[in-house]
Amino acid sequence: MNDIVGIDLGTTNSLIGVMDSGFPVLIADSEGSRLTPSVVHFPEKGNPIIGVPARRMLILEPERTVYSVKRLIGRRPGESEKEDLPFAVKSVDGRMMVDVRGNRLTPEQVSSLVLRKLKADAEQSLARPIDRAVITVPAYFNDLQRQATKRAGELAGFSVERIINEPTAAALAYGLNRLRDRSKIAVYDLGGGTFDVSILELNDGVFRVLSTNGNTRLGGDDIDRELVRLLKERIIGRHPDLRPVVEERIFLARLREIAHAAKLRLSREDIVTIEIPFLTGTSSFSYSMTRQELEAVARPIIRRTRSHCIRSLDDAKLAAAKLDEVILVGGVTRMPSVRQFVAEVFQRLPNITQDPDEAVAVGATIQAGVLSGQVQNIVLLDVTPLSLGIETFGGLMNVIIPRNSTIPCKAGEMFTNAVRNQTSMQITVLQGERELAKDNWELGKFEVAFEPVPKGVARVGVQFEIDADGILHVLARDTKSGREQTVELSSAVDVADEAVEKMIAESLDNAFADMSERLWTEMVLKSNELLPAVRSALTLVGDQIDPDEIKKIAKLVAEVEAALEAHSPPRLKKANTELDEGTQHLATLLIDRAMAEAAKRKSTS
Amino acid sequence: MDYFAVLGIQRRPAVAESALQRAYNQKSKLLHPDRVEGSDFSSINEAFQVVSNPAARIQHLLKLEFGEAGERQIGAELGGLFGTVVEVLRRADQELNPLSGQSSPLLLALALQSLAPLRDALDDAEKQIAERQSELQSRIAAVDQIWFQDRAQCRKPLAQIAVDLTFVQKWAAQVRERKVRLEELL
Repeated sequence: MNDIVGIDLGTTNSLIGVMDSGFPVLIADSEGSRLTPSVVHFPEKGNPIIGVPARRMLILEPERTVYSVKRLIGRRPGESEKEDLPFAVKSVDGRMMVDVRGNRLTPEQVSSLVLRKLKADAEQSLARPIDRAVITVPAYFNDLQRQATKRAGELAGFSVERIINEPTAAALAYGLNRLRDRSKIAVYDLGGGTFDVSILELNDGVFRVLSTNGNTRLGGDDIDRELVRLLKERIIGRHPDLRPVVEERIFLARLREIAHAAKLRLSREDIVTIEIPFLTGTSSFSYSMTRQELEAVARPIIRRTRSHCIRSLDDAKLAAAKLDEVILVGGVTRMPSVRQFVAEVFQRLPNITQDPDEAVAVGATIQAGVLSGQVQNIVLLDVTPLSLGIETFGGLMNVIIPRNSTIPCKAGEMFTNAVRNQTSMQITVLQGERELAKDNWELGKFEVAFEPVPKGVARVGVQFEIDADGILHVLARDTKSGREQTVELSSAVDVADEAVEKMIAESLDNAFADMSERLWTEMVLKSNELLPAVRSALTLVGDQIDPDEIKKIAKLVAEVEAALEAHSPPRLKKANTELDEGTQHLATLLIDRAMAEAAKRKSTS
Repeated sequence: MDYFAVLGIQRRPAVAESALQRAYNQKSKLLHPDRVEGSDFSSINEAFQVVSNPAARIQHLLKLEFGEAGERQIGAELGGLFGTVVEVLRRADQELNPLSGQSSPLLLALALQSLAPLRDALDDAEKQIAERQSELQSRIAAVDQIWFQDRAQCRKPLAQIAVDLTFVQKWAAQVRERKVRLEELL
């Protein structure tokens, strides 16, 4: 069979589809759902359980149930802050591994189990074997994350025909019935664990990505986490004796489910009642959560998508007003406040015709159809999201392929021996937008071999090529012999070192906080800036907040002053932080004021 | 490599955007690796990238026709704009850099209240740059008029346009980058 399936391998859910007489059709799993939870449960005995039944085990055996593994795939230890996942994540030989009671798996192995289930259920449903797939990844995934995803597909028994970007896939789903159109669209994709925004131009069946931006660590999971924190506070507020219970793994897993369900319902309802029966053994916990409360929690998280939108518009050299549509994808975009936010950023009502959960899988299926020849007249021109470069002498990043270059693309670089008889040179390959090499992702290192000749005579050309999957290949060519060979990048295990150093530095900071004169001076400086700032802020927007809050702020101010007086570093540190937190609302009002002013200027100019 | 030939368009200074788009789309439909396995689509992407960028296109044209890359000296009439750009970039960095590391939301929000003049200065610089850019575009169009009659006569003006445009495009990107940073803070 020439079938190729399209797969959306999501943080929360995964989907699979196939072209059926010219139309993309998603296939339900053996539980009858098109959305298969990306959850794997490892029972004490027997085979792993995947999908809906595994999801049920989340609250029963959280330490044996793995979810959101997409947040770990292709990552290296030390690269990310601590994930608050209920199952163990360990660093083994410089790689992240999930550890289920001593049974260690790589994130791609876990993902491959999800893919295996999708494959088996689809084969059952179609009554024929399938072994070729198109798999989607967040547009902002780097080379390592793409490679790991491809490996997951191969481990599941697929030949991975193409890796495509999620927002691009959603654009295909949107554009399939509009092939004659010429338009510019933005896709705003806020999923469970990742955020992407892409700007595309659709022109007579050619889907060209102009720019993409995002954050692979930003999504609905973050909102859930904040909701859990809020619920914990509320419970402890009412039952202070329950503090230890609330921190238990099983209870936290339960709370996470409750928070998640409440979040979903609050997109439709204005208020939901959260019930936790027999919380204390005798009494139950009941709490009414309003949509406003959820929105207050979600607001700073959603706001973090703003700069990505601005950057992608700028990279596409487009003003928001020049867009024809803004498409919403990802479950989180069901939240009314997200829609409102998107409308503000892009200055237009978003298009909600696409099913936010299914559009990516539908698009992957269409792309599968393009590759198998079942879909004609569509071609996808995607870009590489991150700049590719090498580390220069002095620790800087030298960009070789800039971000948003259309793929496939290649660029050559010539290396010359710096001293006589030098036999080799080590090259470090980087991905990212930062100036300093160490602030970017290190993809790996490779050696260029020279013949022993006088300085400047040995020349080796290296070709960097990013293929249509967004994956890097390096070729080295000796200009004299004309020999060309593929270069394997050795993965850099030592990336963890920096994180370790940072941790040590931080622990030292804490240990010597009391003595360090420098830290004390910094804190005093901050207080001296903060105190007058609070006064100015209150004159500017004080009339917009209620007297209770002003009283609270006055108390925080008094505490900073008292700590200064008392010359107590730990107390001042805490007081400064609390004043920062307590004036968050003031800051928001000030930003609103500045934005309103900017908008006014824009409309008059 | 002749990028004009790669895309199958006429080799000349001025290239209409719509014609270039059409040529690129056509090549994409024929040669994208989704259609033809193992095709060299990288060259087509590279060609489109160069030809769609006016400064890079003129430089490429100079190299193909006359084997040279362009003037080294920036046009004297750009001196004033250069001064404006340097000044506004310096000022933007001075005002924006301390804010990027600001951890206190209140201090950041307060600082935003006084950034309006900077925004005006950036807008103004951007406007001046855009005027220069469109002026250079019309110079390209003028040279394009005589391109097929007297190529040798085009050499000098194109060499100057190439270097001027390269600088003006760079300034535009630098000013835009500061504007984005300012916008991000809001």
